[in-house]
Amino acid sequence: MSKTIKIALAGEGGQGVQSIAEILAEAANEGGKQALYIPNFGVEQRGGVSIAYVQISDSQIGAPKFQEADILIPLSGRAVVRTKMHAGKDTIYIYDNSLIAEGEVGDSIVGMQYFDVTPPCPTAGEPSEKYSPETTVDKPNEDLQQDLIAGEPKTCSFTRPGPGIDPAEIPQVKKVIAIPANDIAKNELHPRVFNVIILGAVIAATEVLPLEAIEAALDVKLADKFKNNPQLREMNFKALERGYNLIKSAM
Amino acid sequence: MGEVSLSSEQRVFMTGNETVAWAAIAAKADIMYGYPITPQNEIMHYWTRLMPKYGKKFLQTEDEISAGFTLAGGVISGAKAFTATAGPGNVLMQESASMAEMMRLPAVYIIQQRGGPSTATVIYSQQETTITTFGGNGEGHRIVFSTSTHQELFDYTIKAFNSAWAYRFPTFVLGDGYQAKMREPLTIYDPEQRGINLVKPEPILGIRPNGSKFTHLRNTYNTEEELYKVVMANQAEWEEMAKKVVEWDSRDCEQADVIILTHGVVSRAALGACQQLREQGHKVGYFRPITLRPFPGEQLKAAIKQAKKILIAESSYGQLVKLVENALYGSTVEIVPMLRPGLGITTEEIVDEYNKL
Repeated sequence: MSKTIKIALAGEGGQGVQSIAEILAEAANEGGKQALYIPNFGVEQRGGVSIAYVQISDSQIGAPKFQEADILIPLSGRAVVRTKMHAGKDTIYIYDNSLIAEGEVGDSIVGMQYFDVTPPCPTAGEPSEKYSPETTVDKPNEDLQQDLIAGEPKTCSFTRPGPGIDPAEIPQVKKVIAIPANDIAKNELHPRVFNVIILGAVIAATEVLPLEAIEAALDVKLADKFKNNPQLREMNFKALERGYNLIKSAM
Repeated sequence: MGEVSLSSEQRVFMTGNETVAWAAIAAKADIMYGYPITPQNEIMHYWTRLMPKYGKKFLQTEDEISAGFTLAGGVISGAKAFTATAGPGNVLMQESASMAEMMRLPAVYIIQQRGGPSTATVIYSQQETTITTFGGNGEGHRIVFSTSTHQELFDYTIKAFNSAWAYRFPTFVLGDGYQAKMREPLTIYDPEQRGINLVKPEPILGIRPNGSKFTHLRNTYNTEEELYKVVMANQAEWEEMAKKVVEWDSRDCEQADVIILTHGVVSRAALGACQQLREQGHKVGYFRPITLRPFPGEQLKAAIKQAKKILIAESSYGQLVKLVENALYGSTVEIVPMLRPGLGITTEEIVDEYNKL
């Protein structure tokens, strides 16, 4: 690899693009590459599009942000619009074609603190022996402290059923790949591993790191959680592989 | 990444804010005074996290004015002390910085620039160039290092403590929100293991360890002549210091037609642009002041001898241009500004701007 690989991930706040960008950059660094990760951040407490920029190279990396991405991954309709400037003729474009739209933030939360409105999240349940994935999808907050979720229904759905991303909105690029990551996460695995499917997809599209490097990074990053809940580890690795294979078969 | 420590050289992957906290530990700083503001908050967070293990102290004050003056008090007592702020916090801290200039206090300020004026954005800019170099009601008797990588953030934070205590001028490390929040690799180390001498702090007021007394620090003067004498003496010492402290990075300037001039994080984009353009056969040079105060004016004059144009790219509206024009007064070289207040600058944009020349 002689050039720097530039990756931009964009999604709704809460979809987890920043955490997978961080894992990706850390894995690249551990693998002896030069890596740089920078989040965009603003004053918003909730909602809005969040973009993560990652660059991986064999040599010193220059400016932290860039114009044209080699791999561009917008994960919501709004993210497609927000990242138009990063799409170029050499860009590989991966988007989620599940039938979803951005979550809504109700007026009732104006003035409330972040922690008052964010948990419980519809995808907050973790698979465990006690609560199977099916159970946690249907009753998402069974594994959370119930006093956290008592009272008013809180607003924190990151996505809701909707028309999905309009393919006509997608700019002219080298290659467009649509993957139903959200649907796969919800129907086959667990909503919480949605971003790990995306991470697998990024690894397949960039070809700069072996899948094992990410597995090792996940093992470090989520060591405590994996220790307490081995099922979670299995689920994450399955999601990673699923995302990887989706792209490999499409390319 | 395993456990981070300074016991031997270690390659780490972290944010710029974490880097600064580690550098302050490495420089043997005793205490941080601070008031939270984005994007520097994590300097405080990491410092307080490392604090118990390394026996350090932290005081959160009620605002930045107080953080600045408790910092002044800290160094007067002989503690190696620092603070960190950004944007409107930098504005409030200028009052203490000005007193530090007058009393010759080795106060260290870490600035992670955000958008301005006023609250503006919490993200990024280079709009604190003027205030950080000349913010007080005085003559800018201070040192300002403008960093561009995490390695430099580490190296120059250590250097800032050394310069401050060696020359007794307030010293600033000028970073920005990008440097604060991004993650990249760097090597952290114990400076003494590398043979870097760490200047020891000592009480400035009261009785020094050698028994000599110093009991009168003034920032008020009764007559014009009295003040004039003190400021001129400080000016002379500042100029003497400037020769030893000034730093710059100049590459391929000798035969260049155009020199791309930037400071701080924008230099990364400039370096990338210069490399690309030179590969295409363009005669392009690269110049970057590392100290903005003192500004490497003589070195810049030497670098631009053959140049026809200087392209200045900055994330502010002419604050760097002003420093350059002041240094190059009388030169006929054409200055082409690329001014993007509060906006990041990429390699591609500098190349585009060059191609328009």
